[in-house]
Amino acid sequence: MTVIDFLQVPIFQRAFIASLLAGGTMSLLGIVITTFNLTTIRFALMHFGLLGGAIGLALGANPLTAAMAAIAIGSLLFGPLTDKLKLDTGLTGAFFMTGTIALAFLLFYKAGVPALDVFGLFTGSILTLTRMDLWFIAILGTVIVATYFIFYRELQLIFYDMEQAEWLGVPTKRIRNGLLFLTGLAIGVAMKIVGALLIDALILLSAMAASRFAKNLIQLLILTSFFGMITTTGGLLLSMVFDLPTGATITLTGVSILLVSIIFKK
Amino acid sequence: MSSSHYAIELSKLKMGYGHHIVLKDINFNIKLGEFVSILGENGAGKTTLFKGILQLLPIMDGKIKILERDVTKGKDKQWLRSQIGYVPQKQSMGKFPISVFDAVLLGRWGTSFSYLKRPSKEDKEIVEETLEIVDLSHMIHQDCRELSGGQCQRLNIARAIVRKPQVLLLDEPTTHLDIDSQAKLDRTIDIIRQQYNLSILMISHDQHHAESISDRLVYLKNGEILKNVEMVQ
Repeated sequence: MTVIDFLQVPIFQRAFIASLLAGGTMSLLGIVITTFNLTTIRFALMHFGLLGGAIGLALGANPLTAAMAAIAIGSLLFGPLTDKLKLDTGLTGAFFMTGTIALAFLLFYKAGVPALDVFGLFTGSILTLTRMDLWFIAILGTVIVATYFIFYRELQLIFYDMEQAEWLGVPTKRIRNGLLFLTGLAIGVAMKIVGALLIDALILLSAMAASRFAKNLIQLLILTSFFGMITTTGGLLLSMVFDLPTGATITLTGVSILLVSIIFKK
Repeated sequence: MSSSHYAIELSKLKMGYGHHIVLKDINFNIKLGEFVSILGENGAGKTTLFKGILQLLPIMDGKIKILERDVTKGKDKQWLRSQIGYVPQKQSMGKFPISVFDAVLLGRWGTSFSYLKRPSKEDKEIVEETLEIVDLSHMIHQDCRELSGGQCQRLNIARAIVRKPQVLLLDEPTTHLDIDSQAKLDRTIDIIRQQYNLSILMISHDQHHAESISDRLVYLKNGEILKNVEMVQ
């Protein structure tokens, strides 16, 4: 089958649209993750998902819905708790990560939840997305783009110099907490698209590659979004043509773009 | 221009962190247009003093007046931001690209633009004028990450004065600069001081440099004023 043949099939059409939307918008959150030192939050929220999934299974509810709800709650708590505990975001992430995984294991043991079923939530595939998922991705993508549009100068100031942003009166904490929430939701979606372990390809790598070429924030946003779309759609199409696993191919496409950017812009 | 005689008035100022008292009974004033440098060892209380003036840390006792307005209770932050330009010691080096123009323009955030209200033509003209004054107009589209230490510090000063404040606080602006960059920065400070009729308070570790550029030196030791020396120009 050729790419054109694949794109006649509804399931691949849906996957293609999802990859275009997710790659083009969620990649923009990579800038947020790098600025606020959120490298550990990705794992922390995944572990929240694990705990949520375990609770869902223990209560006989849909584990995936419970996992997504837990991720949403975790991302809402993350910012305020970081401030309350007066910790670095990286340390709060580590605190969340270890705490939630320990609780999940206790639940596996005490409630007899089959651990493998919960870990199965972490192996996503873009080909299994439902129409509902697609709507969710579209709405989330719109909110992300709207956030960058409305808060363009505020975000520029925060990304450049947080201390000055605070001194000038920008509500940095509220903006950061809002971005954290969006990042949490994006991580939940990314888990379904590429699987938990390959989230970086969707969210982080494009921003890292784009920052090597861009000279200002507008260029950075456009390039990040462009690289994000190439990563996801390119990876999806390559996986169809060469019959490769989708998540891994998307990730390798993202890694290749970053590698090329490093070679061309040392 | 305010009709007050003093830009900054500190009386019986006491500040600290929790139970740890850092500044004890600080009294000194800065006249309008005056350039005062604060010297002292690490832990003497220089940065805490700045935090008090900028309302980044609540004061325990005493009074702070800026341009005759009592700002002790920390209720006039918006007004304070319009009157004080602040250049922090840490050079802002974001991880992502930003043009020199945008970095300076952001200094005007909250004056004429914020959120959906975009910068006006006047904002842009003011930024261009300011970049001209600090001699960075030829680098207007350059990514800030590519600037040298001296250029970066001149950019920070441009960002602080682009709001047209009356008072400028400089936190060790020449640290880590080579002699040429330091000389250029001094000339820039001198130009903006004349042009904007600024009152300047500078934290410094370098006594020789502070003597060459200031009207008065204030020495802090263990949270108290040790000496207050008028320079003969």
